Amino acid sequence: MASSFYGVEDQVQAIWVYLEHRDGSLENVSLEMLSEGRVLADQMGWPLVALLLGHSVENLCQDAFIYGADQVWLAEHKLLENFTIEGYTSAIYQIFLQSKPSVVFLGATHDGRDLAGRLAVRLRTGLNADCTGLRIDPDTGVLICEVSGFGGGVLALIEMQTHRPQMATVRPGVFSMRQTTSTPSKTIIRPTFTIEPEDIYTKYIERIEGDYVDLTGSTVLIAGGRGIDGDFQMLDALAQLLNGEIGATRPPVDDGYIERERQIGQTGVVCSPRLTICCGISGAFHFVVGIEKADTVIAINKDPKAPIFDHADYCIVGDVKQIVPKLIDALKTKV
Amino acid sequence: MTRQTKEETTIENEQPQPAIIIDDDVWEQLIDLTDGAAALCYQCGTCTAACPWGQFTNLDLSVRTFLRQAQIGVFQASEALWLCTTCAQCQPLCPRGVNIVDVFRAIRTLAWQNRTVAEGLPSILWSLYWNDNPWSQPPSQRSAWAGDIAIPQFNAQEHEILLYVGCTSSYDSRAQQIALALVQILRAAGIQFGYLGNLEPCCGEAVLNLGNRPYFEEIRAKTAAVFTQHGVTDLVVISPHCYDVFKNHYNTISKTIQVQHYTQFLTQLLEEGRLRFSRSINKQVTYQDPCYLGRHNAEYAAARTIIDHLPGVEFREMSRNREDGLCCGGGGGRMWLETPAGERFADHRVKEALETKAQILATACPFCAVCLEDSAKNLGQTELEIMDIAELARLGIE
Amino acid sequence: MPELNIFVCMKVVPKSEEIRVNTETMAIIREGVRSEINPPDMNALEMALSLKDRYGGQVSLLSMGPASFEFYLRVGLSVGADRAYLLSDPQFAGADTLATTYTLAQAIIKLGGGDIILCGDESADGATGQVPAGVAEWLDIGQLSMLTNLELDLTRRVGRGRRDIKGGYEILEVPIPFVVSVQTACNEPRFIDFERKSWAFTEAQVITWNAADLEADIEYIGLRGSPTVVTGLAEAADRDRQHEYIDGTPQEIALKLAGLLEDILESV
Repeated sequence: MASSFYGVEDQVQAIWVYLEHRDGSLENVSLEMLSEGRVLADQMGWPLVALLLGHSVENLCQDAFIYGADQVWLAEHKLLENFTIEGYTSAIYQIFLQSKPSVVFLGATHDGRDLAGRLAVRLRTGLNADCTGLRIDPDTGVLICEVSGFGGGVLALIEMQTHRPQMATVRPGVFSMRQTTSTPSKTIIRPTFTIEPEDIYTKYIERIEGDYVDLTGSTVLIAGGRGIDGDFQMLDALAQLLNGEIGATRPPVDDGYIERERQIGQTGVVCSPRLTICCGISGAFHFVVGIEKADTVIAINKDPKAPIFDHADYCIVGDVKQIVPKLIDALKTKV
Repeated sequence: MTRQTKEETTIENEQPQPAIIIDDDVWEQLIDLTDGAAALCYQCGTCTAACPWGQFTNLDLSVRTFLRQAQIGVFQASEALWLCTTCAQCQPLCPRGVNIVDVFRAIRTLAWQNRTVAEGLPSILWSLYWNDNPWSQPPSQRSAWAGDIAIPQFNAQEHEILLYVGCTSSYDSRAQQIALALVQILRAAGIQFGYLGNLEPCCGEAVLNLGNRPYFEEIRAKTAAVFTQHGVTDLVVISPHCYDVFKNHYNTISKTIQVQHYTQFLTQLLEEGRLRFSRSINKQVTYQDPCYLGRHNAEYAAARTIIDHLPGVEFREMSRNREDGLCCGGGGGRMWLETPAGERFADHRVKEALETKAQILATACPFCAVCLEDSAKNLGQTELEIMDIAELARLGIE
Repeated sequence: MPELNIFVCMKVVPKSEEIRVNTETMAIIREGVRSEINPPDMNALEMALSLKDRYGGQVSLLSMGPASFEFYLRVGLSVGADRAYLLSDPQFAGADTLATTYTLAQAIIKLGGGDIILCGDESADGATGQVPAGVAEWLDIGQLSMLTNLELDLTRRVGRGRRDIKGGYEILEVPIPFVVSVQTACNEPRFIDFERKSWAFTEAQVITWNAADLEADIEYIGLRGSPTVVTGLAEAADRDRQHEYIDGTPQEIALKLAGLLEDILESV
C-alpha cells in the first residue's frame, strides 16, 4: 500500500490536540481532548502539544496550559482569523511536515471533521472518526481507537500500524474536562508557514449567531411530554434544584410551549446525561433515541402501559402533576 | 367559456384575460382515472354542506369546487386537497351518485405527477418503499407486537384463515392491543389460524387514498403475489381500511380469496356456535361505525350483532349512526398528517359519545380507536373508555 | 454556457437494527439483512435534483460497491437522476475512507470532473462523515459542508450555501467546482417518478467500472490502500434497564424519589 508522507521512523512521539475556538474561548471538546491527552501523555512519557490557529488568539494559550498542554504551537495570521478549510488545511499541513507528530486529535465537530478529512488525505494517512475511546499501546506507540457504527449498535477497535500521523476525531462530551495538577512545561512555539490571499477562496457572506441552548452537554435532563400540559415552569423549578436542563418531546414544542432547541429525539437533540427524568412522556421510539445513552432513566407516567417504562430504570405510574410539586418540596427540605 | 388548448393561447391586450385555462390532457386523465365520475356532477353543493370539515371546523374544504375542477380539466395545487379523509359522508347524499372519493383520489394522482403534494407525504411513501409500512418502523420488528405469543406461520393446509394484522396494529402501541385481544378470542374459539409474521406485506391502502395510483398498483401486485404464493383462500383483517382495499381494489384476488373484517368473522363464529360469551360485562356501550366498514361497505350489522350477544351490555346508539356516522379523521392518509388541535373530528365524535352517557365507546377500526382515544385524553375525559370490538368481546370470554 | 455537471455520491447501507456481529470472525453478518439508500444521500440527491430544476444540467449518480448496488442506482434514476455509474471490483473491497475517497475521485476525474459534487453528511453504517472532505481533497477543489440550502450564481461561477451553526446560521460562498456535504433531513426527498421508472429499470444503462477502467493505482484502493485496520468488533451491549417500580401515594413517591436522586447525583 502507499505510505504516508512520513512514517514510524521519522515520527516525533507526541500527542497533538487541535484547538477549536469561538468567540474568544476554546470549545469544550478541545479541553476534553487536552484532558484525555494529558492522561495518555503521562502514560507514554510523551509531550502533549496543542495546535492553535487564528489571529490575535495568544491569550487562549493559557487555557491550553491549564488543561494540560506542555507546548502550544501557535500559528497566527490575519488570513487565519476565520476558519476556512483551505487556509487551515494548508497551514497545518506545513506544520505537520515540520513537526511530524505521531498522534493527532481533533474534535469531531463539523469543522473538525472536515479539517481532519482533508489533512488525512493530504498526508496520505488514516483517520479514525468520532472516537469514544482512546488508548495507546505502551510497547508500540500505536493508537487504538474505539468507534461505533450502525447507529451505535456495533463497536469497533481500529488502529494504524505504519501510517503517521495517527489521526482521530474525538466525539464531544465523551471525555471530561480536567484541569491539570502537574506543572507542564508551558512553551509557546511559533512555526513558520506561508499563506497568501490567493490561497483563500471561501467567503463568509453572512453570519447570524445568538444565544443557544446546548443540551448535549447536560448532566441532568428533565424532559416533559404531553402529560405535563405545557407546565414547563414546574419542570424548570425541579431542574434548578438538580442543576439540570429541561427538554421536551415534539408535541409540546409543536404546541409552542417550549423552544425547538429543547426538543429531544431523533429529529431533535441526542444526549447522554447522567440522569434523565421523563415526565408525562409516552416513550415513542423516536424520543427514546434521544435519551438512550443516559446512565439512569426515571419515568413518570399515568399510563401503566406507556412504552417509556421499557426504557426506564425507575418506573413511576402516577400523575406527574401531583408528584413533581411534592418532589420539589421534598428536595427543598433536604437542602 | 372557451375551451382552449395550451398552444392556442392568443390573448389580445384590450380583451379581459380568461379566468381559467382548461388543459385537455388534465381533463382526459381525470376522466380516465375516475371513469367519468366527475361528469355527472351538476354542482348542487350538497357534498360541501355534508362534509365534516365545514360542519365542525374552521378549515374549508369545498368539495364542489374540486368536482368542478375535475369536470373541466383544471388542476390547481392546493392544501385543501389533502384534507379529505375519504369518509364518503358526501356520497350517499349526492343526488347524482358521483363517486366523489374516486375524484379526490384522481386529483391527488395528478398532484403526485406534478410534485405538488403536501409536505410529509413523500416520506410516507419512502417509508413504505424501504420498510414495508408507512410508520417508518423497522420491518424486522413487524411481529414484535405478539411478544411471547407464538402464532403459527400460515399454512394453507392446516389453517382455516390467515390473520392479517396490518401495519397500524403491528406498530402502533394502542392498536397492538386490538391484535392481542383478537388473538385471544380466536384461540378461545379454537380457530386454527396462521400469520405471516415479518413477511406480512402492506395492503397499500394509504397509497391508494393518498392518490399515488402507480405505486399502489405496484404494492398491490406484490401483496397479491404473497397471498397467492401462500395459497391463501380466507383472509380475516383487523382494519376496515385493509378490508376495503382487499375486497374492492385488489381485482386479482377478490375472486379467489374471501376477505372478511374480523367483526364479520366473529359474527359467523357466534352464529355457528363456535364462539360463546359467558361472562357478564354490565356496561353501557355505544358504537362508532367506521367509514370503511359502514358507508364504504354497507357493513353496519356485524359489530352490533357481537355487542348484542355480549351478556349484560346495554347498547345505546349515538344520534348520528350508520350511514350518518362521523369520521374519526384518520382516513385519506390523514393518520400521517397533523390536524391542529380544535379542528379534529374525533373531538366532536367523543362529545357525541358522551351524550349517550355510555361508559364504553366501541370501535372496529384501529384508526378510530387511536384517534378517539387521543381526543378523549385531550378533552380530559377519563371516564369514557374506548375499546375496539375485540377488546370488548374479550371481556365476555374471560 | 456549458451544462452543469452535477454528481451525487450514493452509498447503499444495511438496516442498522438488523446488523449482527460474528465475534469469532470479527465480521459484520450481512446475510438476510435488508438494505436501503443511505438516507442522507437521498437528501443529497434531492438537493441535486433541485439544482437541476432551477439551473438545468445533468445529475450523475456515483456509487462504489458490489453488483447488487445496481438496483439502488436505478431507484435513483427513477427519482430523477440522468446517469448512473457503479464502481465495482473485488479489489475495491475493504476500503477505508482514504481508499474510498480516492476511488470516487478517480471516477469523477475520468468523467471530466464535476461542477458540484454532493454527498450526504455521513453514512448510516460507518458514520465517519469523512467522504466529502476526502473527495474534495483528492480533486483539489473547494467544499461547502453541512448545507441546508444551496444556490448558484452561474455568471460568477460560484455557489452560496447555508449551514446551521449554534444559535444561528452562516452563508458561505466558494467558486465552482466544489463538493457539498448535505445536512441530513434538510429537505424532503421526492418520491419515485413512475413514468421515469420504466426507463430507469429497463433502457437506462448503469455503467459499471472496475479498477482497470478507472486506471486506479492499486496501492490506493480497497483493503490494500487502507491505512486503518479493524482489530476488534463487538455488538454494543443492549441497554438493560432496571425496570424498578416505585409506588405509593404521590407524597410517598416524592419522598422515595428525593432520596434516590440524592444517591444518584452524589456520584455525578
